[in-house]
Amino acid sequence: MSAPSRLRAFFAVTTPAVWVLLALALGAAGLIAARPGARSTGMSHWLFAKGHVAVYTPVFAKWNAEQPTEATRIESLLIDGPALERRMLSAFMSGTPVADIVETERSMACRAFTGPLEDVGFVDLTDLLKAEGLMDKINAPSFAPWTSRGRIFGLPHDVHPVMLAYRADLVEAAGIDLSKVETWAEFFQAMRPLMADGDGDGRPDRYLLNFWPNNRDLMELLLLQAGGGLFDADERVAIATERNAFVLANLATWCAGPGRVTVDAPDFTAAGNTLRLRGVVVAALMPDWLAGIWKLDMPDLGGKLRLMPLPAWEKGGRRTSVVGGTMLGITKASKDFETAWALAKRLYLDPEVHAAFFKRTTIIPPFKSSWEHPAFAAPDPFFGGQPSGTLFISQAADVPMRPASPYNLPALARVNEVLIALAERAAREGISDPEVLLPDARARLAGAQQRVEKMISRNVFLRETPPAR
Amino acid sequence: MSLTNAQRQKLLLFPVYVALTAAGIFTLIPFAWLVCAAFKTNADIFAFNFLPLGDGFLGVDWGRLTLLNFFRLFRELGIGVALTNSIFLAATSALLATFCCSLAGYALAKFRFAGRGLVMSLVLAALVVPGSLLLAPGYKLLYDLGLLNSFAGLILPGLTPAFGVFLFRQAMVNAVPATLIESARIDGAGEFRIYFTIVLPLVRPMIGAYLMITFLGTWNNFIGPQIVLQDPQSFPLSVAINQLRGLYGTDYGLIMSGTLVSIAPVLALFLLLQKEFIAGLTSGAVKG
Repeated sequence: MSAPSRLRAFFAVTTPAVWVLLALALGAAGLIAARPGARSTGMSHWLFAKGHVAVYTPVFAKWNAEQPTEATRIESLLIDGPALERRMLSAFMSGTPVADIVETERSMACRAFTGPLEDVGFVDLTDLLKAEGLMDKINAPSFAPWTSRGRIFGLPHDVHPVMLAYRADLVEAAGIDLSKVETWAEFFQAMRPLMADGDGDGRPDRYLLNFWPNNRDLMELLLLQAGGGLFDADERVAIATERNAFVLANLATWCAGPGRVTVDAPDFTAAGNTLRLRGVVVAALMPDWLAGIWKLDMPDLGGKLRLMPLPAWEKGGRRTSVVGGTMLGITKASKDFETAWALAKRLYLDPEVHAAFFKRTTIIPPFKSSWEHPAFAAPDPFFGGQPSGTLFISQAADVPMRPASPYNLPALARVNEVLIALAERAAREGISDPEVLLPDARARLAGAQQRVEKMISRNVFLRETPPAR
Repeated sequence: MSLTNAQRQKLLLFPVYVALTAAGIFTLIPFAWLVCAAFKTNADIFAFNFLPLGDGFLGVDWGRLTLLNFFRLFRELGIGVALTNSIFLAATSALLATFCCSLAGYALAKFRFAGRGLVMSLVLAALVVPGSLLLAPGYKLLYDLGLLNSFAGLILPGLTPAFGVFLFRQAMVNAVPATLIESARIDGAGEFRIYFTIVLPLVRPMIGAYLMITFLGTWNNFIGPQIVLQDPQSFPLSVAINQLRGLYGTDYGLIMSGTLVSIAPVLALFLLLQKEFIAGLTSGAVKG
């Protein structure tokens, strides 16, 4: 057999795909092997929010330039949220590697508080915060999501107050004056003319608010605003309350039945953003972080929006709420706590970093002395020249407290099931009066409370919760 | 004038082709949206469903389209590094998994040895274990083995998936006659020679199909690399593109261009291998 025939026979043994993939694998391996393999031996920082990277990068660069040794230099790693949660919890439970400093979101951080206090993977910062006087310098409600059984495990990154953003161009064109509006009832009454059916298709051309029954985050936001919620200050389940029943009965009639005023326009989606751009949604619940996202995703809305405090549930009631939240925790596995703490303060307590953050994201810091920075008082063209920073800051002190229960998500799911059932009933029976739904709401919330309590009772470690006052 | 049988058959098939073409176009709509979005600015992505409307040719404002997303992808974000990582991971995993699964499938199909039934039962039992259930213990095991933050940590656990072993076992049972192997043994061929020169060519369509399946699976694997790899320089495309999506801001143009870049190599490979892929998937489907 000649050499070319042998070669042909060799390659014919298997499919050409094998040879193509072999060539690709070898080529890629060559490129990877040629890369410099420098590996840091210093400290590490994990975060999940891409928007934070650009602000932190110069801070880390300056920090690293100041460090005399490699050991105290920091390397930051952006990780997708679920992966960060899995890595963090694996580390806390089984000792796998974890960063010295972890920036984590509320729903992930609370999972770390499931076990006994002494086994929480983050360092307890309570005494340190008190000793350094930081408890008074930081907006008090911002500590709540990182506080478990009275101990604080993270430095808060934000406040996330919520305002109402509305389409001023549509509202003004309809001759509506919102300056006297104080309550949700007054808001919907004033805005009703915008729900006219101009095109004659049998449906309103616009809806007044962005809300729908299975949006758990917005539901929790409105429960908290009303003084309701899922857990009390001692982290005991507080689902079956009169306040929650009242809010859910109202929300059900907002989004179903003949009195419907809300529409489903999900954030972060092309479909939802298109509805907003077309003016199908007139107003939206607007935490500070969402304002930053809207600026990036929908610049065409610039100048058409205005901010106002949330309408209260009753006259004199709370005009804001809260949704989301991020903290910086120092892990017990950290090689050098003192250095990690110094770096944490550099990241979270520097007014210049806060101003840079606000410019990129519209997020206000919880560090009160930073609020005086001129960046927060600057007119915001996206909101028609309103000083969005000052407006959000004006609500910061009134943001409701949220206990950091690891059972928040399952509890929220159970309460959301109640809202969905009530909305279905409102649609089916054509109910527009919340009073009609109240008995049903109470009964369903009682069932939800029982289910969540049963789930929590299986966790023997949480029985050390302080007794009822 | 009467129609011939062939003409009649063509006429009958015409509505079928029309319906299939319509369905084909329908399935391509999301892909068309992706391609359009990759060439648009963030402001235009939500302002227009597909291309930005204007006074240009076909009523499109061509001047608003941009290549900036692609420039940023390669220059600022270094997506080329992630592309190399993806190619290496997917190609290596596909080759090694196909090799190991075909060996295991061959052994289970053609060799009689003590415990063969038990091994086969274990393979079948492993098929029903969801992959996500193994993430946490797998992570701990990789940590104990010192394989975290390495490509080996991703490639080794996927070397012999139960699905692949079972697939090749079935292919070997159907496609490789025992008499052929016996003849080769009588002629003095060694076991590896038999495997490489007789068995492999007989299951060639299955090899093409399985290569494609594992390549695609590894290429699209998202959570595995997120968990195992800790160094951004090692991230494959699936993870690198996801990093473009932030909680406090999403650059849709960049994500869409990144998605387009990530689809291109897989599409090319599929076009190259589609004949073998389809042959592999349909082998055994028709009784010979």
